[in-house]
Amino acid sequence: MKENQMPPDDPPLSELLRQSRVSPALPPRFQENVWRRLEAAEAPARRASWLESLAALILRPRFAAAGVAALLLTGVLAGTMEGQKTVRHEAQMNYLAAVAPHSAR
Amino acid sequence: MNRSLIILLGALALGAAIFTGSYFAAQRATVMCCAKPADDLSWLQEEFHLGEAEMAHIRELHAGYLPQCAELCARIAAKKSELESALGNRTNVTAEAQLKLNEIAALRTQCQSNMLQHFFTVSQAMPPEQGRRYLAEMKQLTLGDHEQMESSMSGATSHEHHH
Repeated sequence: MKENQMPPDDPPLSELLRQSRVSPALPPRFQENVWRRLEAAEAPARRASWLESLAALILRPRFAAAGVAALLLTGVLAGTMEGQKTVRHEAQMNYLAAVAPHSAR
Repeated sequence: MNRSLIILLGALALGAAIFTGSYFAAQRATVMCCAKPADDLSWLQEEFHLGEAEMAHIRELHAGYLPQCAELCARIAAKKSELESALGNRTNVTAEAQLKLNEIAALRTQCQSNMLQHFFTVSQAMPPEQGRRYLAEMKQLTLGDHEQMESSMSGATSHEHHH
């Protein structure tokens, strides 16, 4: 048997330990708060409206980052396509102005 | 106001700003980087996928056509100023003004005829499929305006006749 191991049953020592344990003072209205929390936990959860769900979804960092990236990409693609169309149209008008003056159209 | 609604409206505004900003920035960048205002024929080469040999031939045709076109344009401009003088402050079309109008019309017809002939010649210098596409596009761009105007005018006339 090891030297520092407590004897399995030592009533005087157990009593002494119990008395020496300090129990902290409970905060004010502790019991009332506990009951309120229990009631809230047992009450059926209120369903979030679609607006709240959507707002919560938007505020998720992953969703927000993906949305910003998608909008940026779409904007750049659409802008590039429109720019190419403008360049093509301007080049076509340059050619047309050279070969077909307004008096011939 | 509801907090969720504010979040949604804010997200919508931010999204619109991001899209619009990136759209206009990309459009401007594309126009600035890709525009080639120096060469009138660059559009032909890119649009109809022409090789250097075809372009060289078309450049020759183009260079031969431009002086004829410029000369006719100058003659039309001169006739127009003669018409202005003939009209003066008169309140009806005189025989001289009518003559000038006829001369201008004849010059315009000749100018159009030369232009169409140039389009045919250029189209023949291209691969057949591209030539057909070029011709169709040129006809649409140069004669289409007249067709549109004439059909709208004839539509208006027939509309009046029904009444």
